[in-house]
Amino acid sequence: MPIRLIFRNLLRHKLRTALTVGSLAIAVFLLCVLRALVVSLDAGVRNSTSDRLIVQSAVSLFVNLPASYLGKLQAVEGVDSVARLQWFGGYYQDPSSFFAQFGVDPEEFLDMYPEFKIVDGSRERFLTERTACIVGRQTADRYGFKVGDTVPIIGTIFQRLDGTPWEFQVAAIYELDSIVWDETTIFFPFEYLEESLEGGTASGPPGSGVIYMHLAEGVNPVNIAAEVDGLFENGPQRVQTTTEAEFNAQFVSMVGNIPFFVTTIGGGVLAAILLAVINTMLLSGREQRHDMGVLKALGFSDWAVFGVMLGQGVVLCVLGGGVGIGLAQLSSPEIAKLLGTMFPGFEMTSEILTSACTLSLGIGLLSGALPAAATRKLMAVDAFRRGA
Amino acid sequence: MSSTTATRAVVDLNGVTRAYSRGGERLVVLDALDFTIEEGDRVAIMGPSGSGKTTLLNLIGGLDKPGSGSVRVAGEELTELSPPELARWRAGNVGIVFQGFNLIPVLSAQENVELPLLLTRLSRSERRAHAAHALELVGLADRASHRPGQLSGGQEQRVAIARAIVSDPTLILADEPTGDLDRASADSVMALLARLNEELGKTVVIVTHDPLAAASAKRSVHLDKGRWKSDGEGA
Amino acid sequence: MQLVPFSYNLRSLLVRRSTTLLTVVSIGATVAVISGVQALQQGFVTIFENGGRTDVAVFLRPGATTENQSGFTRSSADVLLKSIPEIALTDDGRPLASAENYMAVRLFKVGGGETNVPVRGVQPMTMTIRANDLQILEGRRFEPGTDEIMVGEKLTRRIRGCQLGEVIRLNTVPFTVVGIFTDEGTFSSEIWGDLERMGDALQRSVYNRVIGVLRPDVDVPALIEAQENHPQVPASVMTEADYLMSQTGMISATLLGLGAFLAVIMGIAAVFTTTTTMQAALAARTHEIGILACLGFRPVSILLSFLFESLVLGVLGGLVGILLTLPLNGIETGTTNMVTFTEVAFAFRITPQVLGTAILFSILLGLLGGAIPAFRAARMSAVEALRRG
Repeated sequence: MPIRLIFRNLLRHKLRTALTVGSLAIAVFLLCVLRALVVSLDAGVRNSTSDRLIVQSAVSLFVNLPASYLGKLQAVEGVDSVARLQWFGGYYQDPSSFFAQFGVDPEEFLDMYPEFKIVDGSRERFLTERTACIVGRQTADRYGFKVGDTVPIIGTIFQRLDGTPWEFQVAAIYELDSIVWDETTIFFPFEYLEESLEGGTASGPPGSGVIYMHLAEGVNPVNIAAEVDGLFENGPQRVQTTTEAEFNAQFVSMVGNIPFFVTTIGGGVLAAILLAVINTMLLSGREQRHDMGVLKALGFSDWAVFGVMLGQGVVLCVLGGGVGIGLAQLSSPEIAKLLGTMFPGFEMTSEILTSACTLSLGIGLLSGALPAAATRKLMAVDAFRRGA
Repeated sequence: MSSTTATRAVVDLNGVTRAYSRGGERLVVLDALDFTIEEGDRVAIMGPSGSGKTTLLNLIGGLDKPGSGSVRVAGEELTELSPPELARWRAGNVGIVFQGFNLIPVLSAQENVELPLLLTRLSRSERRAHAAHALELVGLADRASHRPGQLSGGQEQRVAIARAIVSDPTLILADEPTGDLDRASADSVMALLARLNEELGKTVVIVTHDPLAAASAKRSVHLDKGRWKSDGEGA
Repeated sequence: MQLVPFSYNLRSLLVRRSTTLLTVVSIGATVAVISGVQALQQGFVTIFENGGRTDVAVFLRPGATTENQSGFTRSSADVLLKSIPEIALTDDGRPLASAENYMAVRLFKVGGGETNVPVRGVQPMTMTIRANDLQILEGRRFEPGTDEIMVGEKLTRRIRGCQLGEVIRLNTVPFTVVGIFTDEGTFSSEIWGDLERMGDALQRSVYNRVIGVLRPDVDVPALIEAQENHPQVPASVMTEADYLMSQTGMISATLLGLGAFLAVIMGIAAVFTTTTTMQAALAARTHEIGILACLGFRPVSILLSFLFESLVLGVLGGLVGILLTLPLNGIETGTTNMVTFTEVAFAFRITPQVLGTAILFSILLGLLGGAIPAFRAARMSAVEALRRG
């Protein structure tokens, strides 16, 4: 089979080939990004462990668990340690500059989350100082927070009665080993919040939003969860105990049926590009009819001629797909930064890249097969009739 | 259609009929035709348009099959071969020259001439050598890297002839080889064909309605409405 | 200057049917995706734009931007309810003001999974204020002081337990659904019940907000400022219309951003497709262009002719895209409004904006796509075209 003809024919109309490769690259890039969005949503779920359980109010995310629950949970057999976690919901300077803040029990929390790595500053200070906080690497970089700085946070749910912002001293900067959290959050000691509320210097709901439980080794999370739920069945606040994975999954499902949404968009993109590439290939096929007839007249088999047409589709799509995949791979870190907290863990996994390759190949085979099939009906004798 | 010397018949058609249905009617293009060509012959098939001469050439070259009758070319009964077998047979036995040259525009002259050799088992250097030799034979060795768009009509046809002979076929079939050419180019093409016939012993069959082209053949035959009209000059 | 007749272009498009079809449908798919996203955004925004009344003021705790964050003690709420002069009065002299609770409660979705549904506890005066805004579709209003609730119409299809007669448990207390209501705004995604009963069940002793109907002649900015610095009960005030608009922020912006992103990226690919098609048309009609030039048509006419043809391709593509998107109109979906963290149900809405954007976009596509081939066609010399064709 004259392989050379595959490339020569593609170069025959340089603009057309360039445009088709270009639109393929764009479409494949887009499809990779869309897929990565969906995959990243599950990142938190995927990286969760089963030795951490989360107890939350069965009623609402916004209802706190009474303070008395802490001791009762610690007493459950199989529970190694408990840590309170309270969503603070404030903002730094401007409401639109959004990053999360949580009040936690410092030592217990860091112990049950070995994924947190203190990269700068002192873990000790966080554990011992009343208003110390640890800041995620991304937020620290974005706002220029350094160890020792004082970060003022304006409260919304919890407000200081004198109207001043809450102030925290940066004890350390953290990074994460895996995406069980994200590197944009600020954690401070829950006791500071609790004391301020009890002491009358601040207003806000008492109790803690959720309580994390770290299970001892070999303990069955399902049993513990059922036991805890049963403990508080009659109030004062009913609870719902879930694994970390389920907890994170609930946030994903809240945003709505994103996978469906994204798949539909992806489908539209795919349809548009497939039609466009088929269009190009059919155009080329029509132009090359004559040459294909000549090849048959010279004695090339039907399959050889089929191969020349099919080959053009494949080369076109492999090229376009390759560029698109390369683009996706290269721009992935930048996009991840743009998306920030909304889609933590955005990255081009090898699964995404492999599917993109397969897809490109598939488009190539399909779009090349259509004009190639037309050549099968082409008789060599036509070459004589159309010769003039 | 007489042959006095005991040479082999390269082409032997017997009782060949070819008809088409077109719009409900049956058109008979070739009507129970017999035809024999000896090895080393140089024949011109002539006739008005619609007489069936191109169809006859197609049948000889294995590009078409008759409705009935036998087509023996270069020792093979073509009616018994399947299309893939015909393609393979054609690659090894027939060189075709078309009126419209039919060179592949994206390939250079050298690459066009090499094309039929891709169907053989020759190595790349062997192919290149054969193609170069064929181009030399037709006098276009210095145009080897030019594309058809950069050649004149006469040059294109000569490249086409080089392509037709590069795999050393027994038979050269030419359908109106001078139709698109000016007088001077036409003459040189016909001279080339004559040389290939006389010096290399190739059997040449030309379909033409150019009397000057026919004149350079050893003999002419005339078709009219699918039947022989009369015998021309024999050799 | 003589223009090349349009029928020539239209016929050319018809002659190359399969190419025209493929290009038009390809552009159509692009337009459909973009219009679909925009319809989603329009559906979301419409609810918030329709809901807010400009004559109703919302009082929140200073610094709170949403009801969730806000809180008033009973005594503070009392002050607001009774002693704001700007609030209109009923016929028998009571202020048209009411205190409300707002909580996002975890409930199960019909198709599986959980979501946070807004639950609103109201005082009887709220029903008076909302008399013309709400419409009872089935059943009746809940009785004040009882464990009865009425459910917003949009929830009945999405959340389990929302049909008439069914029971929803808030914390440990069961509430019976006695009515289904609807409105033009956000309330039809909410569950309403008695303020005190709900407060007890959910263990809330604080009210989230106070609403009040303003007298017609009120100077709203003055009121806002006065209330901010009020000595007794400082509060952040805004009209209900403004309040709802502030809620749309993130989702609307996200959808618009997504739409724009897709428009640019897919738009570029669509322009490429159009250029390819028009370029091929040009190559196939080189001879015809030569004839046109010989006949006396100036290069500008030839340029305009090709531009017109690619424009038709674009517009046809836009129409196909709109046709593909139309079935979406009215289809309901829901998401969580990250500002209030509650579920909001809305429907795709093909507004004039969506249609307009689609048409403009496809016109732009057609023009951009046809530009290069049109210029090339115009620059061809007649002789060269006739020779090559």
